[in-house]
Amino acid sequence: MSLRIGIDIGGTFTDLVAIAPDGTVRTHKTASTPHDYSQGIATGLAALLTGEAVAEVLHATTVGSNTILEGKGARTALITTAGFRDVLEIRDLRMPRLYDMHWTKPPALVERRLRLEVSEKTRPDGSIAVPLDPASIAACIERIRAEGVQSVAICLLHSYANPAHERAVADALRAALPDVALSVSHEILPEIKEYPRTSTTVVNAYVQPVVRAYLTALSARLRALGITAPLHLMQSNGGLAAAGHAAAFPAHIVESGPAAGVVGAAALAARLQEDRLITFDMGGTTAKAGLVEDGHVLRTEAMEVGAGVMAGARLLVGAGYMLKLPAIDLAEVGAGGGSICRLDAAGAPKVGPHSAGADPGPVCYGRGGTEPTITDCNLVLGYLDPAGLAGGAVKLDREAALHAVTDHIAAPLGLPLEQAAHGMLRLAAATMMRAIRAVSVERGRDVRGFSLLAFGGNGPLFAAGIAAELGIRRVIVPPMPGLFSAFGLLLADTEHHATRSLRMRTADPAALQTALDALLQEGADRLAEDGFPPDRRSATRTARARYVGQSSELSVPLPDGDAPAILAALPEAFAAEHARTYGFRAPPGEPVELMGLSVIARGIPEHPRLPARIPPATATVPPCRRAWFEATGWTDTPVLARAGLATTPRQGPLIVQEYDATCLVPPGASAALDAFGNVRIELQ
Amino acid sequence: MQDPITEELFRNAIVALGDEMALTIYRAAYSGVLKNIMDYSTAICDSQGRLVAQGLSLPGHICSIPVALQSCLRHFGADIHEGDVLTMNDPYDGGMHLPDIFVFRPVFADGKPIAWAATICHHTDVGGRVPGSNASDSTEIYAEGLRIPPLKLHDRGVPNETLLRMIDRNVRLPARVMGDLRAQLAACEIAARGLADLLARHGAAGLRALMDATMAHSERLARHCLSELPDGEATFTDWIDDDQIDAGVPIKLVCTVRKQGEHMSFDWTGSSPQVKGAINNTWSYTAAASFTAAKSVLSVNMPNNDGVFRCIDVTVPAGTVTNGVLPAACAARGLTGFRAADCAFGALALLYPDRVFAASDGGNTGITIGGYDEERRPYIYVDFLSAAWGARPWADGLDCNTTMFANMASFSIEVIEAENPLEILDYGMVPDTGGPGRFRGGMSLARTWRMLAHEGILQVRADRHTHRPYGLHGGGPGTPSRNALLGESELAAKLTMTLKRGQVFRHELPGAGGWGNPLDRSLDLVAKDLRDGLVTIEGAARDYGVVAGGDPPIIDHAATHALRTQLRAKRKPAPIVAWRPLHDDN
Repeated sequence: MSLRIGIDIGGTFTDLVAIAPDGTVRTHKTASTPHDYSQGIATGLAALLTGEAVAEVLHATTVGSNTILEGKGARTALITTAGFRDVLEIRDLRMPRLYDMHWTKPPALVERRLRLEVSEKTRPDGSIAVPLDPASIAACIERIRAEGVQSVAICLLHSYANPAHERAVADALRAALPDVALSVSHEILPEIKEYPRTSTTVVNAYVQPVVRAYLTALSARLRALGITAPLHLMQSNGGLAAAGHAAAFPAHIVESGPAAGVVGAAALAARLQEDRLITFDMGGTTAKAGLVEDGHVLRTEAMEVGAGVMAGARLLVGAGYMLKLPAIDLAEVGAGGGSICRLDAAGAPKVGPHSAGADPGPVCYGRGGTEPTITDCNLVLGYLDPAGLAGGAVKLDREAALHAVTDHIAAPLGLPLEQAAHGMLRLAAATMMRAIRAVSVERGRDVRGFSLLAFGGNGPLFAAGIAAELGIRRVIVPPMPGLFSAFGLLLADTEHHATRSLRMRTADPAALQTALDALLQEGADRLAEDGFPPDRRSATRTARARYVGQSSELSVPLPDGDAPAILAALPEAFAAEHARTYGFRAPPGEPVELMGLSVIARGIPEHPRLPARIPPATATVPPCRRAWFEATGWTDTPVLARAGLATTPRQGPLIVQEYDATCLVPPGASAALDAFGNVRIELQ
Repeated sequence: MQDPITEELFRNAIVALGDEMALTIYRAAYSGVLKNIMDYSTAICDSQGRLVAQGLSLPGHICSIPVALQSCLRHFGADIHEGDVLTMNDPYDGGMHLPDIFVFRPVFADGKPIAWAATICHHTDVGGRVPGSNASDSTEIYAEGLRIPPLKLHDRGVPNETLLRMIDRNVRLPARVMGDLRAQLAACEIAARGLADLLARHGAAGLRALMDATMAHSERLARHCLSELPDGEATFTDWIDDDQIDAGVPIKLVCTVRKQGEHMSFDWTGSSPQVKGAINNTWSYTAAASFTAAKSVLSVNMPNNDGVFRCIDVTVPAGTVTNGVLPAACAARGLTGFRAADCAFGALALLYPDRVFAASDGGNTGITIGGYDEERRPYIYVDFLSAAWGARPWADGLDCNTTMFANMASFSIEVIEAENPLEILDYGMVPDTGGPGRFRGGMSLARTWRMLAHEGILQVRADRHTHRPYGLHGGGPGTPSRNALLGESELAAKLTMTLKRGQVFRHELPGAGGWGNPLDRSLDLVAKDLRDGLVTIEGAARDYGVVAGGDPPIIDHAATHALRTQLRAKRKPAPIVAWRPLHDDN
């Protein structure tokens, strides 16, 4: 009996979930070890395993994003077209905050002295305006050697149209400096727009030696534990990639952690036949929302690493480092269990964005926190067990929470304690609803037709209340909600995403066919490397298009058939998507321009990855406690373990208390256990 | 009165609605001016046209929406019905300049408008004598394009085809203008739906009370922030080089800031009479510059709404360059807005020296190159370049960052080259351009274009050529702007000319002003600038009294100590506001 193992590293905890072929699940939570994350993994695996064979290890890690956030990447150089070395620092000039004289730009990942130039110029059509000057390459090599550079990014203008000069520079560097890591822009992002391409290539170069070293260390630790099974990494786009591929293109795994939960949600949605699902992942400091439609996750073309949470809307960019690579589209807001509740200078109540974090944490943790947090409000209202979290491992001081909420919020506002605490939860919920609206309403979806899948340590506590506010009728709380990202890893597929700029103002079937065939072949080749035979490969084709004259693009599934058929069907497919997203379409006959192609090549696993059922967790919980609800005031509320629920719905109020999360079923809602092991909450 | 939780939930909802409107335009708009430069704004107003919430977008539009909407309300009075959509762009009837077209849609309760969805977008072209409709050398508004008084774009749900056809026939790129108008309507639709939800939840009386409470909360917040600042009064004078018509005649801007208790005022009395060139502000644009400066000094979290306006008065005499009257041309008034912001910041810097930066790059440079290619297809390349912030009393000015008054993005070089008959030869920072100081001003950015078509019209609206970005408290000014035809001649800061195939045009933005005595600049910071190539070895000696040599340059500490001692002895007391390079006086 061999196990498949999912490992998700977070800032505080490393979560491990192992699943046997019969669906038996084993979990373990251990402290993360930031100086060497592979150590925490080894500790967790040693505790989790008792000599079983391991079939594969699937891993989501923050090592990429942490390297950027902490500025601990490799000493990196950038080679650009002469005249353009400042592109990386100019970015798009824009700042993420208005009226803020204290704003500081994130420093460029390559200092100016290491931003080197070669004399050359390619035209937008791929023809050569200025031939590549070998003497200028030699000067770059000299500087790279003298400055002890470990990693080099190469990004020349218009290389997406003709990569010959980039290849020549890369060949020269490889010959002269075989130990220096190379990241070449046309291999990473063959798309027009020099800043996103340069930034993405530089991020890849900056984290590559660190990620490679980490994966080497992790592989050694796995071997030391007798695990020789393949290691796969979760990519930001939600697909798995072999460790070797991730080491060469680490820009793809920078946001791997949050992606895993959404992938798990998509797999679960398919099993449950939920066509329209919003994922809601709430932890200690932030909450994230994603969209799963017809089994597909919503993806975005670009993201910013280290930008922090979205500032109200995703209009103001520039706070982080741009990565223009497909990623699961998550809207993130600064509301979590640790979010601090305060009054502003004019006496209005505010929740967040300040967070008490893990240290000192909420007032009730008794570690020195003085300002009330969302967790304190949940404790005051009886939703959390005063005996403590995680089976009593974290003790909670309810008296301290009561005082903090009274002194800081209720008394100054002149509200009863319960209404003040409940009001703070509603404000937090309003912030979280913005994330949910960002992935639904702002994309033309009517949120009322969706189900809400809630996970993360705090998601199940808030989900029913948020669903009620948004008019959502059904909430699903999966098994192991607090470790759902690690679980999600076990449900992901191997995927390779490839994109190309096209810019076809006039229909050119031959050019389209050539580009499409090349992308499909690239995906097939990579899957073959991963060991997938032709009958276990699939490809999803997407076009990016716009009305001629528009400056932003929409992604639409590529119509079936060969190039002429695609070109014939595209205008209507695009107009339909435009109407769905923006609520209007241009008058008939408005020309549509094809701007790019994307292909997702997916390896189909040999066996279904999702077991038929996850046995519900059992635990000893107090039978009942007093909890406060707006409709009923203080109410004796039954407390159950997940296994205490039945397939027959039971009326709220109820509290389902588990080791890793607490699920609140308010009055008026009902909860039942489904065949898979999910808690299903129905609202009226 | 509503409870505080409901009020806060409403504030969140109404601000989110303004942002959703902004996002809708951002995504659906056709023109790059809207998407890349975010030259648009969205808002929710109450039935009197007072601003309740404004979406995240352009600071320069802060005051424009209430002024324009209130003008429409005066025009139409009771003649406003469900299904109506109003529009206008007339600067002399509440607008700003002709490319800025407003679209307003009412939301009804009990048969009367209870709130308004408001949008304003800078359109690519509204006709007139030059492509882009933004020439700085027009002398009357009649040359600048189509002037739209308050009119109904939709009348009880029926599109006004007469007006739409007039617009269609009078602009150079009608598909783009119509597409952007559709984006404005889509944003109004989003707002109307959101307001209908809020109306259903709170009722008409509740919605009115909550809008009032939202503005009252902002007023309390503004009063609180104002009360924490010391009282005082200061007057600052700044200059625009000229208006391109009366070349070489400087234009004066004067701003007096008075702060007393919970109240602040900006008075522009003393500014030059309106000018012939197209750089005359309207009231709302000068007011926006005043508010931007005030908000940057008060608190970044100050909401944008009428409550804040109640605590800050702006007086702008009519007939001046800061508030032109008919028939003043105003298409390129962006420049005067930027200078007004510099001037208002300057006055605040005199009052609150530890809170305000030295002069930034002077606002963006507007560059338009347009014409017809060989197949007589029109092309218009409109770009706005900006560079750098002035040095702050606590840190260097930002390099490569948009100006505070307009959060504009730069276009992709590759896209410009792919879509226009232009080749870009370089784009980057220019050494020794940031104003020297204990904290250095941001660096100049320069760009060079080569014309690939047989010819096109080049228009440039630059400034800060004779009046540099000022330094403060011992810091020197930044370098002046520069326009040149490389290999041919130096050019004026503002120009309209024909660019022929093969000609190469270069623009250098001004460097930003420095703050504090440059001889006090830390050697670590000078060493970093030397290593980065932002300060040359010659510049380090001249501006900072630092002796360095080698590649990478290494500082000679003993020689530096000697040079700095010598320069300190020679240095005259620096003015609070420095307009000329410090070494000119030595």
